[in-house]
Amino acid sequence: MKKTKLKKIWEMFIYFFRISWFTFGGGWSIVAQMQKDFVDGKHELTAEELLDIVSVGRSLPGTMIGNVAYLFGHRQAGVLGGIAATVGMVTPPMLILSVLTYCYTMFKDNMWIAKMLQGVRAAVVPIILVAALKLRAGAFPTKICYVIAIAACVLNAFLNVNCVLVILLAVVTGLIMGKWKEAEA
Amino acid sequence: MSVLFQLFWSFCQIGFTSFGGMSMVPLINDEMVSHGWMNVSEVSDIVAIAEMTPGPLGLNCATFAGMRVAGILGAIISVLGVLTPTFTLCAVAAVFFEKFKNSRALKNIMTGVRPAALGIIAAVMIDLSRTNYLVNGVFSWRAAVIALLAFYLLARRKWNVPKVIVLSALLGLLT
Repeated sequence: MKKTKLKKIWEMFIYFFRISWFTFGGGWSIVAQMQKDFVDGKHELTAEELLDIVSVGRSLPGTMIGNVAYLFGHRQAGVLGGIAATVGMVTPPMLILSVLTYCYTMFKDNMWIAKMLQGVRAAVVPIILVAALKLRAGAFPTKICYVIAIAACVLNAFLNVNCVLVILLAVVTGLIMGKWKEAEA
Repeated sequence: MSVLFQLFWSFCQIGFTSFGGMSMVPLINDEMVSHGWMNVSEVSDIVAIAEMTPGPLGLNCATFAGMRVAGILGAIISVLGVLTPTFTLCAVAAVFFEKFKNSRALKNIMTGVRPAALGIIAAVMIDLSRTNYLVNGVFSWRAAVIALLAFYLLARRKWNVPKVIVLSALLGLLT
């Protein structure tokens, strides 16, 4: 392997390792940072290319930012570049969370910590709710989508159908709906 | 050994059926509770911890669950599980990027998945509410007040999530 290629792969690892210590807000801050560094700074990427990477990364399963890191790493330095970028991206949050998990296990039964956790748990449902309300945009292009949402909720919450199965059903439904639309057109 | 394989398989399934962010919470809740790896309160805790720390929710949950079930090795295996779609599907997509960019099948799939993801998020909120607002079967007014206040601050006053979590922790101390 050429030395320049190795250097590029290493750069991908280091870049994502460096920026992912500060990714609050579900990875969008990483996209913003990439925009600043590669689109505005080095001009190695156009705003449109970044948008394409993000939209493909989002529409594939898994963590959005893991996919974005892989796609960008691959674009810059091939398969190993993709792997290096992804591994670089996941290492800092893993280190932080490992330490926190250790502390959590040690202290969660402490009286003061337990009280604080009780308060925090009360806030979790509204946090999820507000995030879900933001996801509404673009989720209901047709009326059938409301039926899908309600059906998914009922299947999981009241009929105990596993989430994995619910999503697989939704994938099939989406494909069938697409076929119908094509047949109509 | 078998527990590591179970962790990997669980997080692999979670990875392949989730599409970023909050859509992972219901899947994680299902898998963790059905294996007895976490209870519903712990799922709430990990959502809060993940929101307070850098890194995507799915990775943070995988690290937390893996570490609690089987230590550092469990954490690594779980994270690899969540990343499986990235190293397989996304790796293919990177090679045929131009085709994936305008893929109609991908768009059709997302038309079905987006509303369903919201549906199972609603379901997990019902599930979490059962334990977060009922203390030993009795409705907790204090928890409900914290929830309403948190919703108001997030939705109306545009507070960020970590700030709301810190405030809720302090309010928890008062109870």
